[in-house]
Amino acid sequence: MVGLTACSGGGASAGAGDTIAIGAVHPLSGGLAGVGGMMNDGAALAVEDINEAGGIEALDGAQLELRDGDSQGSAQTGQSEAQRLISEGAVALVGTYQSDVTENVASAAERADVPMVIDVAVDDKIMEQGYENIFRIQPNASSMGQAGAETLAAMGETAGVDVEKVAYLHIEGAFGTSVSEAFTEEAEAQGIEVVSTVSYPATNFSDATTQVKQALSADPDVVVVTGYYPDNVLVAEAVQALNPDILGVFGIASGAFDDSSFPADAGAAATNVLSANYHYAATSERSQDIRERFEEKYGRPMETAAMLSYQAVEVIAAGLEESGSADPEALRDAIANTSIEDPLLAFDGPIEFDETGENKNATVIVMQSQDGEIEQVFPEEFATAELIFPARDQ
Amino acid sequence: MSATTESPRGTKLPSALPQRTHDGARRQYIYLAVGLVVLFFLPFVLPESSQPVLVRTLIYGIMAVGWNLMSGYGGMFSFGHAAFFGVGAYTDAVLLTNFGISPWIAMIIGAVFSAGVGVLIAYLCLRYKLAGSYFALATFAFAQMFLLLAQNLELVNRTEGINIPLLPEDSWAMLQFGQDSFNYYWIPLLLLAAAVAVTIAFVYSRPGRYTQAIRDDPVAAESLGIPIMKYRLITVALSCAITSIAGSYYTQYYLFVGPEQAFSMHVSTDAIVPAVIGGVGTIWGPLIGAAVVGPLSELVAAVVRNPPPFLEFLQGVSGLDVAIYAVLLIVIVVFLPKGIYGTIRERLRK
Repeated sequence: MVGLTACSGGGASAGAGDTIAIGAVHPLSGGLAGVGGMMNDGAALAVEDINEAGGIEALDGAQLELRDGDSQGSAQTGQSEAQRLISEGAVALVGTYQSDVTENVASAAERADVPMVIDVAVDDKIMEQGYENIFRIQPNASSMGQAGAETLAAMGETAGVDVEKVAYLHIEGAFGTSVSEAFTEEAEAQGIEVVSTVSYPATNFSDATTQVKQALSADPDVVVVTGYYPDNVLVAEAVQALNPDILGVFGIASGAFDDSSFPADAGAAATNVLSANYHYAATSERSQDIRERFEEKYGRPMETAAMLSYQAVEVIAAGLEESGSADPEALRDAIANTSIEDPLLAFDGPIEFDETGENKNATVIVMQSQDGEIEQVFPEEFATAELIFPARDQ
Repeated sequence: MSATTESPRGTKLPSALPQRTHDGARRQYIYLAVGLVVLFFLPFVLPESSQPVLVRTLIYGIMAVGWNLMSGYGGMFSFGHAAFFGVGAYTDAVLLTNFGISPWIAMIIGAVFSAGVGVLIAYLCLRYKLAGSYFALATFAFAQMFLLLAQNLELVNRTEGINIPLLPEDSWAMLQFGQDSFNYYWIPLLLLAAAVAVTIAFVYSRPGRYTQAIRDDPVAAESLGIPIMKYRLITVALSCAITSIAGSYYTQYYLFVGPEQAFSMHVSTDAIVPAVIGGVGTIWGPLIGAAVVGPLSELVAAVVRNPPPFLEFLQGVSGLDVAIYAVLLIVIVVFLPKGIYGTIRERLRK
């Protein structure tokens, strides 16, 4: 029996030849419109691909439809857009890029019993509310901090270099603080000492020299950095200008160091900068194909954030296939039990969610900016180029 | 309209006209009652998806009514009403999550607390004779200070903000209902009506008259024996308490508040813009302004999503609402400097 299930929100029904609406909430206007629009395009491309391949088979080839909502980067607008999409019949949501907006959208989805797959939003706290309808594909802040420390130690070992002391430089706020705290804890276990932790303001930050000097004063082997795009470019430039005697700059969850425009924007300062982050699987043929078609269609490179939006739509589609129903509650159960082999991101294994809704196999890999390109360098199985470490001329 | 009695520019001492004052206030109350009854039934005729927009518009309305008391009637231009909104929002969140205190009680505590904060800030500013743009800048600085405090205080969870836990079922005591419940619309509607009623009562009362006299000419008012500081602080306290209630309700509706949502600069402008668009220093201006600004971005977004044939080229354009908002502000400031309601009222009088 297929296709007569009514959606709890607005009474839309799905079935043979029908369309199933998925709501996407991203910042489509305002300061984050660039990345928000790209993520929306990523989700739209996924919908297009699934429809071209015959739609949702379990629902007689029902077609998907992406309806977009503009959070304008604000939590309350995000919530009202989510409510609008749900009441207009969306059976699931994807979004939203920012942690605080995601908090509000997740609570709206939870209250309406509509599943939501978070594409990008890093804050641990989102999933600690006991929500049952919320799933996250990417690793959370604390696991990225932890994985960053493990990776740094493993990388040092592989390259035969001793990493004993690091200085941590991070942006103020929940994101930077939680990643750095998790890193520090794991680093101690790995025998790496965090000799100084320096934070810098999130707004009106136009020069990182003071903070970088402060971090370098403790004579670290490696400078570890967490932050967003513009501020991390400044950090890289300040390190370049001060030219310290260190093994390298190592970003964790950095918004800049593995972005494909970073090498051009930072110039010489980008040379060999390392970045531990969740990342699209450059070694996967499927993700290469998607990235190529994305660039052809939208005229700009597809960054990891957009790949996560694409992946989020695939997770929802897999849930629809498994439940054979567009009823949000059945869909929620199906997503909770789904297992997606061949993820588009460089993860440890298939996408599977634990009881809190976090992806069990989400992890980070290391990228390096080499000769104007971002290469995957560590671990070996995802490597597209050889790791250069020490990453600076000593 | 209540011509002479409401006129802020008149030099005659208002208390000289007790009978007309009484009539004027009564007429305003009647308008308010009629408006309340009409708006009460609004959710029945609008689609379900418009509820969040209605609620947001009402929250803007309460904030603007509060701001208007201090800045419109009191002449003390506040550029920092986020401080009072945020104090209300956080008081509610902290009392509820840490002590399980009902949001209704937290709303009152927040209002009292916020009024205290407002009086302290205003006292400091006025004591040192800050006026005009200097006063505005000082209030802005205080709001920024609260932003930094919230970002760094463990008590309010720093930058992570505070989530209000979801309840399994509806609760009047805890002010939580199913997401689509009309109660979420009716409660702020009544709060807004109460705020307007307070404004009417204040404007037509003796302290309200004094406040307006002080605004128009503080030296003359003082020379007539009006204790300037006292009446200014009363106005500030009322204004902050009302704005704080908007903040408490914000927390209850959105179930999440962080430093940005409570204290950032755009919260202050959210309180100012409706009043400026509608008409500063009028009873109905802030409401009309809120009714314009509140749904603006959704209306524009809806048009852009499914444009009528002659606007086909706009399909999928994002950010258009911001452009329209900016143009609207410029047009109003240039052509209707007294706001929509303020200008219309003036034309009608001529």
